[in-house]
Parts: sequence; C-alpha cells; structure tokens
Amino acid sequence: MKGIAYPRAFGRNVAEPDQDAALIERIRGGERAAFVAFYDRYSPLLFSVAARVLGERKEAEDVLQEVMLVIWNKSGDYDPQLGTLSSWAVAVTRNKALDRLRARTRRLRLIEEAAVLAADSGATSYPSANEILHGRERAELLREAMQALPPDQRMAIELAFFTGLSQSDIAERLQQPLGTIKARIRRGMLRLREQLGGAL
Amino acid sequence: MIDEAMQEQAAAYALGALDGPERQAFEAALRVDPELRALVHELSSVTEALAGMAPALQPSAAIRERVLLEIDQRRPTGAAAAHNLPVPAAAVTPGPWIPWAVAAALALVAAGAVWQSAGLRTQLAAQASRINELTISAELARTESSDLRLTVAKLRESNRVANFRIALLDSLLAAAPKTIAVSVWDNERQDGVFIVRNLSPLPSDKDYQLWIIDPKYPSPVDAGVFQVDAKGNVRADFRAKLPIQAANQFAVTIERKGGAAVPNTKAMVLAGS
Repeated sequence: MKGIAYPRAFGRNVAEPDQDAALIERIRGGERAAFVAFYDRYSPLLFSVAARVLGERKEAEDVLQEVMLVIWNKSGDYDPQLGTLSSWAVAVTRNKALDRLRARTRRLRLIEEAAVLAADSGATSYPSANEILHGRERAELLREAMQALPPDQRMAIELAFFTGLSQSDIAERLQQPLGTIKARIRRGMLRLREQLGGAL
Repeated sequence: MIDEAMQEQAAAYALGALDGPERQAFEAALRVDPELRALVHELSSVTEALAGMAPALQPSAAIRERVLLEIDQRRPTGAAAAHNLPVPAAAVTPGPWIPWAVAAALALVAAGAVWQSAGLRTQLAAQASRINELTISAELARTESSDLRLTVAKLRESNRVANFRIALLDSLLAAAPKTIAVSVWDNERQDGVFIVRNLSPLPSDKDYQLWIIDPKYPSPVDAGVFQVDAKGNVRADFRAKLPIQAANQFAVTIERKGGAAVPNTKAMVLAGS
C-alpha cells in the first residue's frame, strides 16, 4: 500500500506534547500524582518494548522498574530539544533492555529470534502496544504503514531498533554494503514519516 | 535543506543507532539547527510508533506497587509538599531497611486481613509451590534437548525458582554426548521432577536409578528408578528414600531391575549439580 493519507482525526491530540511538557515539569517538581499519571499512560508501551527486546517478562519488568526510576530521579536528563518525552522514555527503555541483552550469553540467540520476529511481524495479528496507547484504529494505520514498507527497509529498521545491532552489524548480517543499509534505514524512516504524517 | 548524509544520521539517531562521538557530534548540530531538530522530532515519533508495534503486554500490578513504593523512598528534597498523600512517618528517616520494613508492614497487614487461617495459608503456599513446579517442569518438558541447557539457565536467573534446586546432568558416556537431564528438586516438599533427553533404552532386566548426593549422608540417597521411552526421553516425579537436607548433586546409574541400595559407580551415566 502506497501513499496512505491519514486523516487528521487519527492524529495525535495537539494538546498532547504540551500535556507531556507539563507532566515532566510536575515530575521534576517531585509531584507523585504526575508520576503516577506517567506510569499509567506509558508503562504498557515501555514494558512491551522491553519484552520485545528481551524476549521474557521477568527481565522486562525489571527494566520497566529501572526506567521508571530514571524518569523519577533523572527527569532533568530529558532535553525537549532532542525529542518528545515519550520518545525519550522509549529510548531509555530500549537502551536498558539492550544493556541487559548484551550482558547475556544468549544474546546471539535472542537476536536471531528478534530477527525472525522482525521478518514475521507483518504477518502476525497481535494487539500492539500502540493499540493500548492510541486506540485500535490508529494502531492499525501504523501497522499498515509498516507493512507497506519494502521488506528490506523494514528489516533494517527493526533490526536497528529492537536488536541494537549497529548499522555495520546489520550490513554484515544481511551481507550488504554499509552504504546500502544506511540508505535503507533513511528511506524507510522518511517514508514512514511521510505516510504517518497525520497520525504522528 | 538537509542533505542525504545528515538525513541518514538523523534516521539512525532517531532509532538509537548512533553511538559515541558520532552521536555527540550529531546532538551538537541538532541544538543549533532548527530544521534538523524538526526532522529528528518527526523521525522520533516514527520510532515511537515502531516501538508501539511490539505485542501489547501489561506489566503486573505488583511492579506498579514496587515502583511507587520505591519512589516514595527516594522522593527529592522538598517534594513532600507536592505529594497528594501523607508521607509515612518512617520515610522521614532514611535507611536501607525502610523499603523492607514498609514492605513487611504492608505484607503483614495484607496477611492479617486475608489469611485468617493458618491452615489455609499453608494450603495456599503448598498449592502455589506446586503450581510453580508444574509450570517449570512443563516448560522444561516442552523444551527441545538442544535448548534444555538454555532453559535451565533462564530458570536459574529468574526468581521463580528461588525455592527449587535445579540441576543439569551431563552425559558421562562418550558414545552418548547428546544425552542430557534436568532435575528440579523442591526441598521443602521433599520431592522433584526429573526430565531426560536422548538416553538409550535399557534391556528389560535393568533400570536407570536416580541418586541424590547430600553431604548429610555418607553415600548417595536412592531417589527411585525409571525407564525411558523409545526416543530416550522421560519425565518422572521422584522422592528420596531418606530426608534430604541439601541436594548438592544428582547422578544416574544403571542398576538391576528394581534398583540397588548403593550405586554402581562404574555404571554411572549422568551426573551434575
């Protein structure tokens, strides 16, 4: 599917970034209720990301706990110039999960599994974290946009995000020149941005 | 206009795939270039959408309680005023024991409210232990022999097996290097589950016999006999013939039908801890 035009109605509530900005300010001020609001809103997404990276619930719960303590204790590290609050939280979660993954001898095996998941993700029909966070309709649009990507671009993007492989590692793994992998990631990400413009 | 090389960096940055100096240099550029910043914001939203495509999972309610309990202990200075709930008196005196004390107090209150009967408590604990053991043994039983070692490692890492002794037994036979076994022993209940893969079937006049090595006894303790199926696999429940204090090691020998009182160490086929 090409050139999906997403109606604005599916887009993020325009007040949402402002709400997030207010939320992080309140968390920085030590307001427990603000932290609870953040937890209740984002914990399913962050937990799902950790579980996808690590392949198991127990460690994913440990990662979620670590991340939430980072949000509470180090919210000053968040720089709004570098991205949204939720993007930062996702990045912190991914990095902590990958740190654990790297510390394990079974890293290679899980990377294999993640790669298989990445390859299969277009064919599965599980409810996604997006569905919990943004509702079924928008989640479906996001999924369609991902499936509309050429498989080589989708694979490169998912390998980079969920397995933490460097672009060089991905190039080696897929037996492609590094420049090709960089171009696939760039084209794929720009295409998703274009297709999801209204929904993001 | 952002050139392709910078777009590549922006895409990699949004995915978290830029490291070290490359990342720092890119962030420096980001702070002074509004156009680049706008691109990264949009690409970061794409990444967030990508992250949200992971299968939806809900963390357990216990994690929420654990996190909130912990932040209550680590509240920044001056934060108490903004707290919409009263701060527990214990929290004003920092100390490493406080989280445990609070947890213990909460546990006692919960226990007092819900568990009014000591008999019921014991029964529930036994059931929980049994369910846990069954879950673990089912997980092991489903596991292919090549993955058994990995599954045991994962189980050992998890808190689920805190009450169990899980031993991995390796083959002592050069001719059967793929034979492997796992013993899950519940010391409190004094029973266990034994799972074997790729062990050669025996003639009808012989049995495999499992032994537990407990330093409390001068010789291995008999834990029963078993046979394997045609594929060399079995899952068997077992109990020791004597009370076990510490199941340090497990071993399997070939014995006459019905088993022996002491192991034939020359016919030991599996051992491990």
